[in-house]
Amino acid sequence: MFRNSYDNDTVTFSPTGRIFQVEYALEAIKQGSAAVGITSDTHVVLVALKRNAEELGSYQRKITRIDDNMGLALAGLAPDARLLSNHLRSLSMRQQFLFDRPLAVNAAVASIADKAQSNTQQYGRRPYGVGLLVAGYDEKGPHLFEFLPSGSMLEYVGSAIGARSQAARTYLERNFDSFEKCSLEQLIIHGLVALRDTLPQDKELTFQNTSIAVVGKDTKFTILEDDAVVPWLDKLDSTSRRPQRRETANTNENNEEGETTDITEDMVDNTESTESTNSTGSVTNAENAEDDNANANSSAEGDNETDPNDRMED
Amino acid sequence: MQHTQEKWGRPRDDVYGPYDASYLNSEPRTQTLQPTVTGTSVIGMKFNNGVVIAADNLASYGSLRRFIDQERLIKVGSETVVGVGGDVSDLQTIEEIMEGLEISESYDEPAQSLTAPNIHSYLQRIMYKRRSKLDPLWNALVIGGFKNDEPYLAFIDLLGTTYTAPAVASGFGSYLAIPILRKLVDREGDQQNVSKEQAVDAIKEAMKVLFYRDGRALDKYSLAILSKKDGKPDVEILKDVRVENQNWSMAKQIKGFGTQDE
Amino acid sequence: MTSIGTGYDLSNSVFSPDGRVFQVEYAGKAVENGSTSIGIRCKDGIVLAVEKITVSKLLKLGANKRIQTVDKHVGVVYSGMNPDGRHIVTRSREEARHWRDQFREQMPIPTLAANVASYVQLYTVYNSVRPFGVNTIIGGVDDEGSHLYMIDPSGKSWGYRGAASGRGRQTVNNELEKLDFDKLTAAEAVKEAARILYVAHEDNKDKDFELEISWVTEANGRVHEFVPESLLAEAKIYAEEQLDADVEG
Repeated sequence: MFRNSYDNDTVTFSPTGRIFQVEYALEAIKQGSAAVGITSDTHVVLVALKRNAEELGSYQRKITRIDDNMGLALAGLAPDARLLSNHLRSLSMRQQFLFDRPLAVNAAVASIADKAQSNTQQYGRRPYGVGLLVAGYDEKGPHLFEFLPSGSMLEYVGSAIGARSQAARTYLERNFDSFEKCSLEQLIIHGLVALRDTLPQDKELTFQNTSIAVVGKDTKFTILEDDAVVPWLDKLDSTSRRPQRRETANTNENNEEGETTDITEDMVDNTESTESTNSTGSVTNAENAEDDNANANSSAEGDNETDPNDRMED
Repeated sequence: MQHTQEKWGRPRDDVYGPYDASYLNSEPRTQTLQPTVTGTSVIGMKFNNGVVIAADNLASYGSLRRFIDQERLIKVGSETVVGVGGDVSDLQTIEEIMEGLEISESYDEPAQSLTAPNIHSYLQRIMYKRRSKLDPLWNALVIGGFKNDEPYLAFIDLLGTTYTAPAVASGFGSYLAIPILRKLVDREGDQQNVSKEQAVDAIKEAMKVLFYRDGRALDKYSLAILSKKDGKPDVEILKDVRVENQNWSMAKQIKGFGTQDE
Repeated sequence: MTSIGTGYDLSNSVFSPDGRVFQVEYAGKAVENGSTSIGIRCKDGIVLAVEKITVSKLLKLGANKRIQTVDKHVGVVYSGMNPDGRHIVTRSREEARHWRDQFREQMPIPTLAANVASYVQLYTVYNSVRPFGVNTIIGGVDDEGSHLYMIDPSGKSWGYRGAASGRGRQTVNNELEKLDFDKLTAAEAVKEAARILYVAHEDNKDKDFELEISWVTEANGRVHEFVPESLLAEAKIYAEEQLDADVEG
């Protein structure tokens, strides 16, 4: 049943001093879709690729807000990430309550990393199956931390986790020298380009499957999704070395192929007012309503229909 | 079966004897109901570039001048001073809490700065928690420091009540010192027109009046001057400062108490 | 290895017929490949140093500190599994805090080392836990002078004048043995620590690394802190010069 006799639990070292269960937990991160984070000397940007389990299902959230100064992107078991982000939220509130100041990013990540470590040393527990990119801004500036189930925490200038994230890291390693002085806009584009590099040939970044989050100097942690992502994808297109994103966007699990493009373009114009009265605008609203229904359905019935394992890693 | 509710679950009187309710008449459990060894007023005011705080060195045992070298100004972190009035053993507890705070702050690398608003918030939570346990730390606290380069001055009492003001004082000081300090800083913002020297003089004057009129005051005190030099905080704590130019000639004029010759 | 396949190496808290606890030995393997760390005890203080291999160039320079403060007067560095090291640091801080609360004084370092070692030892006697995969070097100055201890995964705690752990420990030990600890000052020890880590790094030359050095000395008021930037820079220059001299000589 097991690959060897040293990988059954977290309390057994292999003869070379490894703990296989922890290494397997690290593999769980790679089952999740990719997330990328990068820092300039003023901001941190997170971008992530969302998945939906089925066409009518909603896309799973990849980015979570902890507080005004902090948030995270996850890859791996989303329920584990929820536990950890709830913990971070309590810590953040406690710091605000006791000391009237935001939680330092370093202290925040150390706290969840210590939690993760204890799960690697006691029998009867499993390590967390999720990797996190924690982005935050505090007195010492912007920070990007990578959290792993092993209890490891490392601060990076740029990092990527999740499926095919090596491609994103390669991009980051080639370009990280320029990040420091980047504007927020350039930083987001860098993030999106890195994220795009993780996609398989037949996939594209769309307004549905892409999440963007920013935090930094005078910038509260903000998540951009759906409509708000569109202008950024357009900017990505105009700076793109892989031309013609828009056409391929249609291939993304959308029934109304022809219209998607129109809707997308329409949204760019109507990012300010969603209450647009023109005909394409109402299509947008209808589309949203449909999405909501899909959400409701998937939460009510989804678990019966699909193998939960397919949906656990995000 | 006992049919009245208040008897349910009670041992039978005929077997065990009547219930002994005497404990119900005993005194309730109590925590500190009064302070023992105490320090008197702490006073502080802002000036255009910082804060001045003073507290004398007396620890009284009732009306006895028990200890005359009690330091009541605590430096916390690199840019904050906490002045403590009230119970001296509770002052020592606060001192230990503050040292513990400094150590935990040093754990993080790089460490966040620990500023007066942070310490003020933390102490307020502690004071309120203790009063809610009906076991207060019997103190009045004055916290001086900086918030975003601006002078910061706050007050907390044993109930956890708190406020910030350009001039604060505890105990007798709130009657005797505040009017003197408010001549210079009546409202928030007035400190802009007050120099360090003016503030120190006003505090010294207030300490003098307090020594004259507060029977639990001493003419030896500590004076903390917190200011910003080139944007960096500078904390100077002067010890063994004396109330100078004392004039007791009016003492003979005071009548109406004590043993006096007509 | 004789241990493999016998079944005696699968659980903590189990002796093999020849009296070994293999799981503890395996934990030691996790240390052997860890980053090289050093502790030096001199007459006026202690110095801790660690070689941090830059595993990715995306890592933020100067961040990810590996030497940590336990109490004002005590510092810790470790080799092996970093998350385990942080666990031990947390425990050490609790010990020191507890002592302060109980006795209103700084914890004597020999007592601290002994208590932490006892904690580490506990993790070798139950099958519900695994041993710590780290060697911990604890150093500081208290009323009795300067102290340096190293604790291994078995819970062994020995006092040292110069301690080394991790990948480069053998090279480091060779170099440490050349030092005259009776005459060495903390400022000199900082330079020597840098030099020794540079020497030890020669075996691993293709990888970049960062140097982290901290100290507790009588002169700095018995406070554990990173050495000043200027001294660190000076130490690096000294280390490079010595290394070049060795190569030429």
